[in-house]
Amino acid sequence: MFIHIKNYVASIFLALIFLSVAPNNAYAHGEKALEPFIRMRTIQWYDVQWTQASLKVNDEVVVTGKFHVAEDWPRSVPKPDATYLNVAIPGPVFIRTERYLNGQPWVSSAALKLGGDYDFKIVLKARLPGRYHIHPFFNLQDAGAVMGPGHWVEVTGDAATFTNSVKTISGESVDMETYGLVNGISWHVLWIVLGTAWLLWWVRRPLFIPRFKMLKSGNEDALITPLDKTIAKGILVVVPLFVFGAYAMTDSQYPNAIPLQAALDQIEPLPPTVNNGAVNVKMIRTEYRVPVRAMNMVAQIHNYSDQPIRIGAFASANLRFINPSLDQPGKNEEDTLVAAKGLVIDDDKLIQPGETKTVSMAAADALWETEKLDGLFRDADSRMGGLLFLYDPSGKRYIASISTSVIPKFD
Amino acid sequence: MATTKLLDIPPQPYTGEKARLTRAYDYLILVLALFLFIGAFHLHVALTVGDWDFWLDWKDRQWWPLVTPLMMITFPAAVQAVLWTNFRLPLGATLCVSCLLIGTWITRIFAYHYWNYFPINMVLPATMMPSALVLDVILMLSNSLTVTSIFGGMSFALLFYPSNWPIFGLFHMPVEYGNAQLTLADVFGFQYIRAGMPEYLRIIERGTLRTYGQYATPLSAFCSALLCTLMYPLWWYLGTWFATIRYVKTI
Repeated sequence: MFIHIKNYVASIFLALIFLSVAPNNAYAHGEKALEPFIRMRTIQWYDVQWTQASLKVNDEVVVTGKFHVAEDWPRSVPKPDATYLNVAIPGPVFIRTERYLNGQPWVSSAALKLGGDYDFKIVLKARLPGRYHIHPFFNLQDAGAVMGPGHWVEVTGDAATFTNSVKTISGESVDMETYGLVNGISWHVLWIVLGTAWLLWWVRRPLFIPRFKMLKSGNEDALITPLDKTIAKGILVVVPLFVFGAYAMTDSQYPNAIPLQAALDQIEPLPPTVNNGAVNVKMIRTEYRVPVRAMNMVAQIHNYSDQPIRIGAFASANLRFINPSLDQPGKNEEDTLVAAKGLVIDDDKLIQPGETKTVSMAAADALWETEKLDGLFRDADSRMGGLLFLYDPSGKRYIASISTSVIPKFD
Repeated sequence: MATTKLLDIPPQPYTGEKARLTRAYDYLILVLALFLFIGAFHLHVALTVGDWDFWLDWKDRQWWPLVTPLMMITFPAAVQAVLWTNFRLPLGATLCVSCLLIGTWITRIFAYHYWNYFPINMVLPATMMPSALVLDVILMLSNSLTVTSIFGGMSFALLFYPSNWPIFGLFHMPVEYGNAQLTLADVFGFQYIRAGMPEYLRIIERGTLRTYGQYATPLSAFCSALLCTLMYPLWWYLGTWFATIRYVKTI
């Protein structure tokens, strides 16, 4: 028994040592935690890029990208009336200095429109050295966090050299790392000293048993002396006077102080990029074959553009299944979320302008399972969504947002 | 002579070994109480006041001065009920708030700053010490639950905002940022990334006090004062109810 306890304690001790010396890395941000139908049919990310993978403290990395807000928004997820484009990092190891949505500076929350197309830009300034996995992600009110793709970024240098200065409207330059700290601590110390003095005033004398005994024996008057009462009266008068005096002084020192700002930014979507009328995709049937981890989709594609087009890729929940027979940008075989040969099309020929063609596609890869999207058919809403990328011979891209119910096949 | 008189403090019902033992018992209880209230009151405030006390950009004019005193008068009332009723010790509120501040500062420095990298100025806690001192002396001078509930409860709430404005007022300086007017506190919230704290989660400046123009704070403070007069006796009786030797007797 004793040996078991010893082993148990030793295990905890070793775990604590491991945690304290483990590299400062975050390996996951819950990107697989949200139910598949939410990851596939809310924020549909694409073209997300980072300007650099290695930088020094005080340098900036810029994250840019685009997303489409799915038309087939799940009924069980509240509409995106309040959303916030955030960054998944382990605490403020970077600070966010700028953020733009559709080119518009954006500091608060915003409502998104279903079917809307948006592009974003986030400027991050390195604050603490380390190696971090950075995701842009959307906080959706009452729904959760829909992660965008992640990227490793290495920060080197000395944390002590980090600077972050902000200028107030009156022109005062403020060091955000230390502003108001000494003032705040000083006020706390002052009140803690006064509070401690009051406590010591009472604690220095015999306390519980003697006082209880005297109280019960009717000697209550001896427990509070006239000096105690005088001090109490002094506190009753001086403390409020001092508090309101300090308040008035602070008020006169900062006459332009304003309340916290609580606006909801209004940002309109871009002109349609996805489902812009050039290509129309109607999903006919979709089956997920569990044993081979393949999403088999049958779609009717109508080409309204004036160029012949071919299917290049299918993207959903940050996974990309690439048609290897088509030369296209963004293949990026090193990306662990890209299945470089993952999209197989049965009749992979050009769809001519004006032509309507029924196509069978298979998006097959173990990624469905490793990214925990294969649990879709156990969700309350077994519908899938994603973006279908099509290209004309000149390389011009057409994007269609698709959605379909999914039938599982356990053969 | 004056010094001798100062140190000649009541009560002194015991002498010798008895006095030494009762004093040892005092220290034992005090140390236990210290850790108990650091943990329990700190947990209570973290769960009920929470983000309003954690972050600069939650300390608004409407909800912060309403929620904080209301949730922080609880333990002081209960502990006062025990210490005043049984021992005539008027230090329950100050003791609770001191313990709370110890716990809060430990958390802000070690959990928020060293563990999660937030600058300490962004997570400065509020102080309730002036309110606690006044609550203690009102109970002591009045020796009345009714008077303390009304005047102590009101003072506890009304002193909160002015006590803390010297600490936090400077963070309300306006800044032009991202083509908008923000306070410095808002800029902290935008810049220092909190993955689990999107802006829309902030419960700030929401309510129906708009009809009173820009003077929301006094109204919130008086609303809190009214509620504190009710919360104080409620927790006083909770303190009385829990402070029992009913179970000890059966051992």
